[in-house]
Amino acid sequence: MQNTLGRRGFLAGTTAALALASTSFQARAASGDLTVWKFGGTPAEVEAWPAANEKFLAANSDVSLNYSFFNGQIRRQKILAGFQTRRLADVIIAFGQDIPEFAGFDMIQPLDDIVSPEVMAGWKDRIVPEILNSGMHDGKLYGLPTYVDMATFVAIDTDALAEAGFDRPPATWAELREYARAMTTPDRPGIAFPATTAPVDINIFEGIAYANGGRIFDEETGKVTLNDAGVVDALQLYADLIADGSTPTGNSMTETNFRDTAQLFGQKRAAMWIGLSWLNTPWGVQDGMNWTGAPFPKPDAPSGSFPPVAALMDGTAVLMVSRRSENTEAAAAYLDFWSQNEQLNIWGGNPEIARVPAGKTAWEQPGLAEVWPAWVDSYNAGTLFEGAEPMPRFIGVSAVESALGTAIQQVVLGQKTPQEALDEATTAAQNQIDLLRG
Amino acid sequence: MNRRSDLWLAYFMILPVVAAVLAFVIGPTGDVFTLSLTRIVMGQERGFGTLSNFQALFADPVFATVVKNTAIWILGGTVLCVTTGLMVGMFLAIDSKMTTGLRAMILLPWVLPDVVTAMAWKWMLHGQVGVIGDYVSRLGLTDGAISFLGNPDLVMWMLVIVLIWRKMPLVALILCAAIRSVPAEQIEAARMDGANGWHRFRYVILPNIAFSLTAVTVISMIWITAEFTLPWVMTGGGPANSSQIMSTYIYQQSFQFFNWGVGSAMSVVNLVFLMTVVGLYLYVNRRSWAAGGEK
Repeated sequence: MQNTLGRRGFLAGTTAALALASTSFQARAASGDLTVWKFGGTPAEVEAWPAANEKFLAANSDVSLNYSFFNGQIRRQKILAGFQTRRLADVIIAFGQDIPEFAGFDMIQPLDDIVSPEVMAGWKDRIVPEILNSGMHDGKLYGLPTYVDMATFVAIDTDALAEAGFDRPPATWAELREYARAMTTPDRPGIAFPATTAPVDINIFEGIAYANGGRIFDEETGKVTLNDAGVVDALQLYADLIADGSTPTGNSMTETNFRDTAQLFGQKRAAMWIGLSWLNTPWGVQDGMNWTGAPFPKPDAPSGSFPPVAALMDGTAVLMVSRRSENTEAAAAYLDFWSQNEQLNIWGGNPEIARVPAGKTAWEQPGLAEVWPAWVDSYNAGTLFEGAEPMPRFIGVSAVESALGTAIQQVVLGQKTPQEALDEATTAAQNQIDLLRG
Repeated sequence: MNRRSDLWLAYFMILPVVAAVLAFVIGPTGDVFTLSLTRIVMGQERGFGTLSNFQALFADPVFATVVKNTAIWILGGTVLCVTTGLMVGMFLAIDSKMTTGLRAMILLPWVLPDVVTAMAWKWMLHGQVGVIGDYVSRLGLTDGAISFLGNPDLVMWMLVIVLIWRKMPLVALILCAAIRSVPAEQIEAARMDGANGWHRFRYVILPNIAFSLTAVTVISMIWITAEFTLPWVMTGGGPANSSQIMSTYIYQQSFQFFNWGVGSAMSVVNLVFLMTVVGLYLYVNRRSWAAGGEK
C-alpha cells in the first residue's frame, strides 16, 4: 500500500488543520470588553444569571464582562435607543418575538456568521430542536433560546374547585364558563384574566385565539387578520365570562396586569386565573392554599380560518448578538457558555420551576419530573411541542398587538362588541403596518 | 471695567449655557423637525421633504382622542395646579408655627421619585385592592369599590388629581414666597381704607405677584406637557386609549412601533401646540408680567 500524500491532499489537510486551529484559538482566545443586557425574568432568574456569569468569567479570565439587567417591558425602547446612539450591548438577551424586527432593522446579526460549524453542531446536539428553531428567522439562526414560555394556561384553586363539585380542570370553553359560574361566590369571582395594555396580557389572549384557529397577521398576504372569526370568538369568550358575572368588573381587569392578577389569585380573590406556562412558578400564595396549573380549555369547535394550534411558545431569554458588536469572539464564547447543559438546566433559575427548558438533559432532571410529570411524559413521548407554533412574530407585531390590546379593553369595558372592536383594530393595525413597511 | 468689557464678560458667562442649549435642545429639535419630514421605512430614511408622516398622523383615529386627553391634561392640570397652588401658597404665607412646619413638609410629594408616586397611586386607586375605593365604599357612597383608573370616564381626571398632588407643592412654595414679599404697608393701607380680604387679594396681592404667577404658570405648563412617567406607569394610555396623551403616544409610536417619522411629526405638533398656548398666555398677561419683571 502506497502511503504518500498528494499536493491536493496536503493543501486540503493543511487548510482544515489551520481552520480547526483557528476555531480552537477563537474559543480559547475570547478577551476584551463584553457588554450584555438581559431583559426580563423571574426573581430567581435575576439571581441565577449573574451567578452563572461568574463561572463564565472564571473560564474566560481575559474577558471583562459588563452585565446589566432591565425590566422586560422596556426592552424595545432600550435596545432602539442603544442602536440609535451606537451604544448597543454586544449581547442582547430579549424575546423571540423581537427577532424579525431586530433583524429587519439590522440591529442583530445571524449567529451562523459568527460561530463555527462545530459550535453550531454542539448547540443542535444539546438543545431541543423545536426550541432552537424558535430562534430562527428567514432560514438563519439569530437567537439562542435558553427556555420558552408557552400559551395559554389556567391556574385553579383546587379547594374552590372541589367546593363547586368538580374533580378535574375544565377541558372546553363551555366547561370553563360552567366552572367559572359555579366557582363564583359573593366575595370571590370564579375567574380573572389580565386585560391591560401590557404585551404579556395580549400574548395570553393570543394563545386562546390561536387555539381557536385565529391569527393576528397573515405573513403571506401581508394582511392584518384581527377580525378573523378565530380571534372574534375568542374575544367573545372573554365577553361571555364577564356577562356571566364570573369575573371581577371589566373596569378592574383593564387596570390589572398578569402579575397583579397572579397576586389576587394567591390572595384567594379569584378562583382561577389565566396566564402563560410560568404560572407554575411560585407567585406567592396564602399558606395552605391548594392549587394547580392546567392547559387552557380548548374551543368546543374551532372557528378560525387557520389551523388551530396546540400552544404558542416564545423564548423570553434568547441570546442575540448585536450588529454593532466589536467583540463577536467574546460574544460567541458567551453564547456557547449558555448553550452548555449546566446552564440550560436552570429552567430560568433553579430551584424555581418556571420555564419550559431548552436543554435536552434538563428534561432528564428528577426535579422537573416531580413538578411537571405530565409535561415530562409528553416530552418523552415526543408530543409536547406537537402542534405548537411560535408566538406571533413579524415586522410590525407591536403595532398589531397594541391594536388588539385596545380591542380587548373595549370589549371588556362593554364599549363595543368583539366584531366591532376587532374590525376597527384591523384597520388601525393595517395602517400602522403599511406605514412601517412602506 | 468699562461697559465694553462688562459686555464681553457677560457673554463669556452665558457661553456654557448657550452651548448646552445648542447641543441638547436646538440640535435634537432640529433632528425631530427633519425626521418629521422624512419618509422612514423599516428604520431606513427614504427621502426628505414629505408630509406623509403628518398625513398619517391626522388620519389616525386615535389622534383625536389623544388631542382631547392632552388638552385635559395640560390645560386642566395647569389651571388646577396653579389655582390650588395659589390657595395653598396664601395659607402658607400666614405666619404661624404650623405653617412654618408645613412649608417643609409640603415638599414631600415633590421629592418622591416619579415611579414610586405612580405605583403608590396606582395601587391606592385600584378597583379590587385600592384603599381609596374601599373607604368610599365603606362610607356608603358607592355600592362597591370603584376602579378609578379602569373607568374611561374617570381616568383622565384621576391622573390630573395625582399630577396636582405631585406638582402643586413647588408652585405653592414659589407663590408663598412671592406673597410674603408683598410690602406689608400696602396691605395695611388697603385694610385701613376698608378693603376686605378678597379686595386685598384682588387689588393688592395679585398685582404684586403677577410676574411670579405668570412664570410659575408657564413653567407648570411645560412640566406637565413633558410629564410622561405618571400616566405611563399608572395606565399605559389605557383603558382603550382613554388616557393616551401626546407624551405617551409619541413614546408608543417611536419606541414600541418603531414609527419614528410619525412620532416626530407628533412631537412637532406638540411643540407648536405648547408654543401657541404659552405665547397666547404671555400675550394676554403681557402688561402684568412685563411690569413685574422690571421691578
